[in-house]
Amino acid sequence: MILLPVLALVIGFSIPFLFKTGPITNFYGLYIGVACLAGLDSVLGGIRSGLEGKFHNDVFVTGFIANVIIALFLAWLGDQIGLDLFLVAVLVMGGRIYTNLSLIRRFVLTKWKDTQERTRLKEQQAQQAQSNG
Amino acid sequence: MNPFLSRLSGQNSWVVPVSIMALILGVMLNFAWITSTTRDDRLKRVTTGMADRLRTGGLDMIGEYSKMQEAMSALQKKVTQLENSMGSSDKESKMLNENLQEAKLFAGLVPVQGQGVKIVLSDAKSGDMTTEDVIIHDADVLKVVNELHAAHAEAISVNGHRVIARSSFRCVGPVIHVDNIPVASPITIIAIGNMEALFGGLNLPGGVLDEIRQTSPDMVSIEKLKSVHIEAYGGPTKTEFAIPVTAKSTEGSTEGKGE
Repeated sequence: MILLPVLALVIGFSIPFLFKTGPITNFYGLYIGVACLAGLDSVLGGIRSGLEGKFHNDVFVTGFIANVIIALFLAWLGDQIGLDLFLVAVLVMGGRIYTNLSLIRRFVLTKWKDTQERTRLKEQQAQQAQSNG
Repeated sequence: MNPFLSRLSGQNSWVVPVSIMALILGVMLNFAWITSTTRDDRLKRVTTGMADRLRTGGLDMIGEYSKMQEAMSALQKKVTQLENSMGSSDKESKMLNENLQEAKLFAGLVPVQGQGVKIVLSDAKSGDMTTEDVIIHDADVLKVVNELHAAHAEAISVNGHRVIARSSFRCVGPVIHVDNIPVASPITIIAIGNMEALFGGLNLPGGVLDEIRQTSPDMVSIEKLKSVHIEAYGGPTKTEFAIPVTAKSTEGSTEGKGE
């Protein structure tokens, strides 16, 4: 299930190659870099909440858009007033990406351990049933 | 019922929207990607610290440059051939051509061969790493080239780039720019001239190589060569502002009057 968003990411990355647009040349490219980070944070957050079973479509979509817009706004504002305000977005988003990734990792790990334990128990039961019979 | 549909609905309903967003994110990442075409443009917008990191990101222009240099040297050879064929028609043009070839040799526009020395400067691999001296700087290269000129070197190349009268050596981040071409350690300097004189001049006690050797002896290696080949200068030769002064225009000019 986690592989589908990853696959979509790869497909999305290759779409501009199909249309031969490629990277943006003017200074908006820099802003999009910050927006990318916000987007990555949202997607990872979506995966996390999905795995935890707390996923709400409306929260996710608005979160994605709002994150991207706030990051863009901070980067733009920082340029206007001569402060590296985009660092705020970078730090917050970067921190959240780490938290989300660690939670996803823990979830997947627990699930895997669970399946292992379950198969072990099943085998034990089967063995018991055999020895009893 | 379609089993794929049922897997994507209900408990796993998050997969489709997240995948769509991931798709958009992929497109955005592609737009933000820094390539050789967008690097220069992006450099203007970032702080110097970031700019240094960007510049080191990839030097694939070196390959591009060497290709262009090859094409340039092929064209230069052709020009020399044409000049020679034209110059062989009569006595006057022959003399004119001889003069021209001499000037071109002096300017570094023809590949040359002869005895000389090869110097390799590399960053120190051992010793006290805390000082700045362990790295080969633009000034080191400049000093060596200057010393070679002083020892009557007739042709010099730095990492394959011919040094001419207009050449410059500049430090840009972690690399040295020779005529705006980035080169990095180890730096190979080849010079043609009297090899004993060049060797002696560079190894003067307290001289330029001596100074570098004091930091770490493994930073310098020098050898005499019976025959070396140096390529022609492959950069632009256009002159935009300097206008040749003819006998007529000298009269009434303010040259040397410090106006």
